[in-house]
Amino acid sequence: MITRRDLIITGAAATAAALILPRMSFAEEAVFAPEPGAWRSFDVTTRLELAGAGKAQAWLPLTSVNESEWTRPGESRWDTNAISAERVRDPKHGADMLHLVFKSGETAPRAEVTSRVQLRDRNWAADRDEPRALTETERALYLEATELMPTDGIVKETAEKAIAGRTTDQEKAEAIYQWVVDNTFRNAKTRGCGTGDVASMLRSGNLGGKCADLNALYVALVRAAGIPARDIYGIRVAPSRFGYKSLGAGSATVTKSQHCRAEVWLEGRGWVATDPADVRKVVLEEPPGNNGVDAPKVVAARRALFGAWEGNWMGYNTAHDVVLPGSDHKVAFLMYPQAEIAGALLDCLDPDSFRYSITAAEVQA
Amino acid sequence: MFGGAPADAAHGLKPWAQDSSPGLSLDQLDGGAFELATSTDSITIVHFFATWCEPCVEEMASLQALHIGAGNAVTILAVDVGEVDARVRRFFSEHPVGFAILLDRDRAAMKAWGVEGLPTSFVLAPGLRPALKADEPVDWAADGMLSRLLALSPEQTTITNREDKVP
Repeated sequence: MITRRDLIITGAAATAAALILPRMSFAEEAVFAPEPGAWRSFDVTTRLELAGAGKAQAWLPLTSVNESEWTRPGESRWDTNAISAERVRDPKHGADMLHLVFKSGETAPRAEVTSRVQLRDRNWAADRDEPRALTETERALYLEATELMPTDGIVKETAEKAIAGRTTDQEKAEAIYQWVVDNTFRNAKTRGCGTGDVASMLRSGNLGGKCADLNALYVALVRAAGIPARDIYGIRVAPSRFGYKSLGAGSATVTKSQHCRAEVWLEGRGWVATDPADVRKVVLEEPPGNNGVDAPKVVAARRALFGAWEGNWMGYNTAHDVVLPGSDHKVAFLMYPQAEIAGALLDCLDPDSFRYSITAAEVQA
Repeated sequence: MFGGAPADAAHGLKPWAQDSSPGLSLDQLDGGAFELATSTDSITIVHFFATWCEPCVEEMASLQALHIGAGNAVTILAVDVGEVDARVRRFFSEHPVGFAILLDRDRAAMKAWGVEGLPTSFVLAPGLRPALKADEPVDWAADGMLSRLLALSPEQTTITNREDKVP
């Protein structure tokens, strides 16, 4: 017996289906097509609260990547009870950070920093300005080995296998991109964004990890092939406009949305955007999850993420092996807030002992 | 020179042909400095690891099993490479062990020992003579492992000869 209530529900479901179906067929085709268009502005705010006895210091990464094609850093402003708050630049890589020193005995060290940044999509197929040339110093910097990214030994051997038969830098860089997508996987258990110990990954044959592992592997392999490349350590600030849940910030709170991307330098093209780690993220996380490499959303992302990326992510810096000013501690990369109390560096991935939050808000013009 | 222990492919341990072992001078997780003493009479395992390294977690459990089985005959030194002390401390509060945890904060020890990736382990005979090396995970709790390690110790030769038929 069909009741009036059943009819109403059925009617509602039918209407909903009519609305959803066209979208489903749209999803089947899967579009992921970043194109440089209008700039968007975001305010990204980091709030830090430290606890514990002893003299405290903290270092908060500030956006310092300035590329006219896709990112323009704006002003940063801060409010803190630190006795010293100084904007400092890592001399080698130009990574900006806010260095905070709190007075001994300060019971509740705190700081709130807001940075404005303008972003837009990138796509190497779009009209672009003629790239400037890399200086010799820059070329050397973006080819060098780092503590965790050797460019000899097993890294070089792996790169040579991946680029066999390829002749141009572009072919080689793309072959390595495909190699990383084909041979690595995103490991949900990896803490934070991973460590990026490329030689250990390759030697163990365990090529699982997150962005700081997979994209560091990409950069190390490309450098080992003799092509300048760099990681950009940053954070997602907005949802994806292409409906990819896995490739955007899920809410205004982005405390755990850190993400690093990669760039490769191609003569005549300049810095080219790439992100093989995000292809593996779509494979693992994009609903319904554990997608095949032939799933439409994976195919579309894979096609785009060598050459393009979406402007819903902000880069802090491209630095490796950063000595924290005023401290003996060194970090492999500066993507998370860092702090030390009485000389002991806190674990930036342990929210119980190191409390901070990060929010991102789009600024309407 | 290896006390008769041949390369043991099954355990990932291979002969480590080097005249002397590098030094090891590091802070301990529980405080205080550690210095590798050449006068030691025991077999010593120097194990480089990190908490993010998945195979290292399982291997640490097998090192603890070896530690319980071997007692003072085998000294185990677990060297954490390049991590924040707080993260290492948290790891061992969840996976307690009975041997020393050393902190190679700046990776200097890893470089001095020629470690190219994690995990890597070295086995030193008494007097810190280089004996065996593994650049892959090792099951330290495997059958026969303890007797193979003890075979590196001259006093144990008789027992070893009987058990393992080592010349």
